Amino acid sequence: MFASGVFGAVEDPWIRWSWVGGHLDVILAALGQHIQLTLIAVGLGLLIAVPLGLVAWRNSLVRGPIFSITGILYTIPSLALFSMLLPFTGLTVLTAEIGLVSYTLLILVRNIVVGLTSVPAEVREAARGMGYRPLGELVRIDLPLAIPAIMAGVRIATVTTIGLVTVTALIGEGGLGSLIYDGLLRDFKTPLVVGTVLSVLLAVMADLGLAGLQRLVTPWARTGRAA
Amino acid sequence: MNFAGQVLHWFLDPANWQGDAGVPHRTLEHLAMSGASVLVAAMIALPVGIAIGHYGRGGILAINISNIGRAVPSFAVLVIAVELFGIGALPAFIALVALAIPPMVTNSYIGMREVDPDVREAARGMGMRERAVLFRVELPIALPLVMAGVRTSAVNVVATATLAALVAWGGLGRFIVDGLGLQNYPMLFAGAVMVAVLSLAVEFALAGAQRLATPAGLRSTTSTQKEETAGTLDPAGIAA
Amino acid sequence: MRLERIFVLGASMVALALVTTSCGSTGGPSSSASSSPKGTITIASFNFSESIILAHIYGGALKNKGYTINYRDKLGNREIVEPALLNGQIDLYAGYAATDLDFVDGKQGVPLEAGSDAQANVQKLNARLNSKGVKALDPSAAVDQNAFAVTKAEADQNHLTKLSDLSSVASGWTLGGPPECPQRPFCQPGLQKTYGLNFKGFKSLDAGGPLTYAALKQGAINIGLVFSSDGGISANNFVVLQDDKHLEDADNIVPLIRSAVANGEVTSLLNSIDAKLNTPDLTGLNKSADVDKQDPADVAAGWLKGHGF
Repeated sequence: MFASGVFGAVEDPWIRWSWVGGHLDVILAALGQHIQLTLIAVGLGLLIAVPLGLVAWRNSLVRGPIFSITGILYTIPSLALFSMLLPFTGLTVLTAEIGLVSYTLLILVRNIVVGLTSVPAEVREAARGMGYRPLGELVRIDLPLAIPAIMAGVRIATVTTIGLVTVTALIGEGGLGSLIYDGLLRDFKTPLVVGTVLSVLLAVMADLGLAGLQRLVTPWARTGRAA
Repeated sequence: MNFAGQVLHWFLDPANWQGDAGVPHRTLEHLAMSGASVLVAAMIALPVGIAIGHYGRGGILAINISNIGRAVPSFAVLVIAVELFGIGALPAFIALVALAIPPMVTNSYIGMREVDPDVREAARGMGMRERAVLFRVELPIALPLVMAGVRTSAVNVVATATLAALVAWGGLGRFIVDGLGLQNYPMLFAGAVMVAVLSLAVEFALAGAQRLATPAGLRSTTSTQKEETAGTLDPAGIAA
Repeated sequence: MRLERIFVLGASMVALALVTTSCGSTGGPSSSASSSPKGTITIASFNFSESIILAHIYGGALKNKGYTINYRDKLGNREIVEPALLNGQIDLYAGYAATDLDFVDGKQGVPLEAGSDAQANVQKLNARLNSKGVKALDPSAAVDQNAFAVTKAEADQNHLTKLSDLSSVASGWTLGGPPECPQRPFCQPGLQKTYGLNFKGFKSLDAGGPLTYAALKQGAINIGLVFSSDGGISANNFVVLQDDKHLEDADNIVPLIRSAVANGEVTSLLNSIDAKLNTPDLTGLNKSADVDKQDPADVAAGWLKGHGF
């Protein structure tokens, strides 16, 4: 149907390399914006999730509500969540980031809690026996041992966020999503394809990069099962 | 009237509950499309995932298909489907089926692999044929994870069906997209609330179904722990 | 030791983020490098190609005179763009005389007064908007107004040439158009009032864009709102039904600009552009963008060059 182009009989190939060559600046700008939006979302997400995770880990009363709320935020479809923010925060980066950060919280908090919970009790006993104060134990023993689970969460959160950033094209942001949206608005396949392919590549590279980072940061786990 | 009042007013207006553009019709449309896509996707994905898990071959593909699926933005899948098939319900359906398949393949595969080999051996030792081992031993044990995959897919589909309003389909997303176009923020917000409620309802309903499907003996923290360490647990799915 | 590694890696990720932030990312709206003494003008466009082209025609000419231009392309429909002009978020957009007048009248709750005289429409626009710090400049001869199209097959089958021919079939037909169509006097309500057409249903699509075209082609709608200067009408063999009862009024292109920005040079420049712009130009420009997939900005630049701006 669209294959021959809706606007006219002109064939619209799936990718016009001439357009790509002539629009490298637009493509790179979209890519840059996409990376920026993702980094801010995951970064802020971690900043919020770590204290939340620590509290949920220690305090079993609060754990339920924390998971419930982050779970609800996660289940709400992104377009709906962005739309609920619109009347209050407008068509701004803030709206996009509030939504994007909300989606990272459940995964990050849950994985932080799982990671910390999985530190064997004997190890913590030994640390206390060696004279570690609670804060020292947390920073030097518990958190490092929780890193595999936390990194797994960061990986999932990052890949998820990269996908969701495309939806922000509908509220004036977009990153690579603006290329996809442009393709829809103009019935123009090339930016659609470029936006999609780059988005997938970005997600794959981010995942691999973070996996590599995880390996670096947990040398003791290298002989173990892949996380 | 403040904003909350305007939204309430929208919900209370009987005109918004009538006809093809009314809430009941749009909700049914949304549910029907979501249900149909998940069903068809399950008919494709579950046999594949279960088979791969049973025979233990092609595991790398099964695990990674979910990661790849997560890496492809659902918005893009929708637009590509429209470029291929035109506007309307069909491309939306095809896109949704495509999006629903990966989590179900991965989770059923992992569910099957998590079956304790000893249990399998014991069953075979008891003289059970392969098919009996599959249906009477492996599947019941794998069922919670299989259901988790269906749950993930279902919530993903309900979410992406919201986006399908952008490509001239209907569903509850219509209120959001039209609200955006008309700058009618009460309608936009009302639509968003309805979509959120629907997604949560689907999530809870299927979570309940998952718990029911878990054999009594396994009904504890074990299944969730397995999902978590497997690193593929998506408790609510990628809400696109 | 482990801790240091974590800190180093964390720091490098932050550094990466900062580097990415500072270079290559220009965010949503595009902007020029630095401000010039003549100041910055923010130009918005609706979300269809013609509007983007016009914005870049105005902007390109102004840029050549030394102004810094900030584009907000595809900002939205009039419900988003017009308020943005009134509250100063944007400085200029290319309006359509009759539709903009009716929009303003509608918002102010006064009877709609747009007519088929472009000059009169613009005068009335100014009467309504000057007190709000906005001016309407000279209208162009170039016109783009709402048009309603059907497929050739449909037109042949039912012998349709004009809108009043629809009275016998309308009750079984579906109308397609942008989400605001049921509210716009030149769209669905107008068809009802002027032609007595009550359609069976309305499908919310886009403003004469790919969704509407696809819906017409696929038969999802029987009649769709398009724009009279669209590049794709003839290419798709659509038939525009004649507006024999003159529902559509003079929708000539007219710049709507904040008075604070409309100094002598800006005003005369924009007016001279309007004097040179005509409808065949518009149709050609639209075709280049929509059918040939050229960039609206490039298409605009081509027109400016060809007309000595």
